[in-house]
Amino acid sequence: MQEEGHDANRLESLALILIFTALSLALLATLFVATRHGPASGGWWTRPALAPGVALLVLVLANLMTLARAWADLRATPATPDERAEARRKIAGWLRPLEYLAYFAGYLFAIQHMGYVPSTFLFVMFLLWRTGMTERRWILAGAGFVIGMTLIFRVGLGVWMPAPEFYDAFPDALRIKLIRWF
Amino acid sequence: MEFLLIGLQQLADPYVFATMCIGAILGVIVGAIPGAGAAVTISILLPTTFGMEPLNGMTLLLGVYCGAAYGSAIPAIMINTPGSPVAVMTAIEALPFVKRGEARRAMSLAYSSSFVGGVLAVLALMLLTRPLAEIAKNFGSAEFAMLAMAALVLVIVGNAGRRAEATAALAFGLFLATVGVETAYATQRYSFGFSFLLSGIPLVPMVIGLFAMSEALVQLTTREPPAVPVQLKGTFFQGFSEVFRYPKSLFGSSFFGILCGIMPGVGEFLAQQVSYVVARRFSKEGHLFGKGAPEGIIVSEATNNAVPPAALIPMLALGIPGEELTAMMLAVFLVHNVVPGPDLFLNRPEFVAGLYWTLLAMNFVIILFLLLATNTIAKAALINKRFLGIMILTLSLIGTYASNYNFADVGIAMVFAVLGFVLRSHRWPITPILLGLVMGPILEGRIRQALGGANGDMTIFITRPISAVMVAAMALLIIFSVRSSLKARKGAADAR
Repeated sequence: MQEEGHDANRLESLALILIFTALSLALLATLFVATRHGPASGGWWTRPALAPGVALLVLVLANLMTLARAWADLRATPATPDERAEARRKIAGWLRPLEYLAYFAGYLFAIQHMGYVPSTFLFVMFLLWRTGMTERRWILAGAGFVIGMTLIFRVGLGVWMPAPEFYDAFPDALRIKLIRWF
Repeated sequence: MEFLLIGLQQLADPYVFATMCIGAILGVIVGAIPGAGAAVTISILLPTTFGMEPLNGMTLLLGVYCGAAYGSAIPAIMINTPGSPVAVMTAIEALPFVKRGEARRAMSLAYSSSFVGGVLAVLALMLLTRPLAEIAKNFGSAEFAMLAMAALVLVIVGNAGRRAEATAALAFGLFLATVGVETAYATQRYSFGFSFLLSGIPLVPMVIGLFAMSEALVQLTTREPPAVPVQLKGTFFQGFSEVFRYPKSLFGSSFFGILCGIMPGVGEFLAQQVSYVVARRFSKEGHLFGKGAPEGIIVSEATNNAVPPAALIPMLALGIPGEELTAMMLAVFLVHNVVPGPDLFLNRPEFVAGLYWTLLAMNFVIILFLLLATNTIAKAALINKRFLGIMILTLSLIGTYASNYNFADVGIAMVFAVLGFVLRSHRWPITPILLGLVMGPILEGRIRQALGGANGDMTIFITRPISAVMVAAMALLIIFSVRSSLKARKGAADAR
């Protein structure tokens, strides 16, 4: 069977658990700041801090348990230099999705200023170029995908998207169609 | 009888029937695409179903759910890569078939056992849901609270080998459920002054980020060599007679799948794994499992196709979703003000009966589609991963934005996309986060009601008989799983 490309590295996992533990401890520390008391009208079981407090306490304990296990494992079998190098590479790889999310944020911004169809077309074409899929068949497939999506979601299901300001320059009859379908 | 006739009337509605066919066909196709699957598709489709009638919306999502369970066998057999983790055992068992030049036989066995498992599970849904709902009418808040708690314990126990991580994920989901305005004192919890968090963490953006966008990011950042499919020629009818030569395995695994579907937190993956191991242990031809045994495929496929309809039993009867996909579907109920639980049969009989018949008919539509179009669908399995990632990411915007027309939701989806990506990379469980988010309000509300009625006396949970039984069952389950974990760890240490 084909294996997935993401295999956990012990040091990378340890770094991740440390981050999770720190975040959960920070959330727990702010419990009584982030959950304010109102006028006392019920018993202890209605206190606003109770449910998040219990959930965060369990979260911290579970994270500490995972951390202890990972730490013990590394103490029993110390990491090799290769493993360390791989961990550094993998931790740097955490930034890879951020690149694509930055493009996604750009797409979101573009929709408000260019309209749905043009910005979606540009987004898909840009991602095709970024991922090295510049052959004609992929460009045609990408264009077909944008057309299909527009037909299904905008024309068929009537999903509304914000209209850019320049649509106002068009005559009313056309502007309404642009707002509705593009 | 009248109840069932109402359901048939619902199925005869052309719009319902068309939605069912679209959902089922879409489900088979996405099931056949490794990396797409039911969770990604349902999370993207979820907001578009909010504008539909509840039955249409549910039918579309259930079509995807059930169709994907069938479709995942196609890449498992043709390119030895399961369409989703639920077809892992099928992929293992099918490889020797392919090597022997019997890929068509393997596919035929997979389809026919999937069909039997699916149909039996729908019949179980029809027979068991109402009696369970009748029993649940005797439940008070203490019982519902312990039932929800038991479901969460099962979610943790079901993640064998990753229980601490599953506990953390579940606790994180439960914490997320508390964010926003709190009802008893009308104060805010963990909203940090952000107005978009006042109504809590929105379910749809969270689901899309965690399940769809994170998958897109994985696809976009992973490089895999293209797979080479095997060629299939001829028809697939042979397996329909062959599966009945193994009645014990066929019906045993179907019933096991139904049982696992009813039990919250188990899911198709674990059901299939356990069913396969048990069948190998008790089969006369157990030694052939893993070497291309027909029973291996039958057990795997009958089990994983029996789970989806059975997972609806606790959701319809008790209002408790058992796994991520029914948890997503719960959103459709809530949007339309349909309250799942014991009163559903009284308040919306046409909806429940319609659901029964559409699910039953769906299995016939799927099998017909598979028999006619397998070779065409198989091409979908070969789709370029990066192109798939681009499609999912682009569709995710429609999904998140269309639910609330709020760009802040898209931001929330992006945060969960990063979280999902990191968790997926480490093979940490992400489903418990969703279950925690969905079950959190149910659990907190019921515990508050129960304790309010008992004036804060916590013994309410052990003095009421049904609740006490659930507490005892949970305690036993926890003790048993801790013991087995310690044993396994000791065994591993001894082996070293």
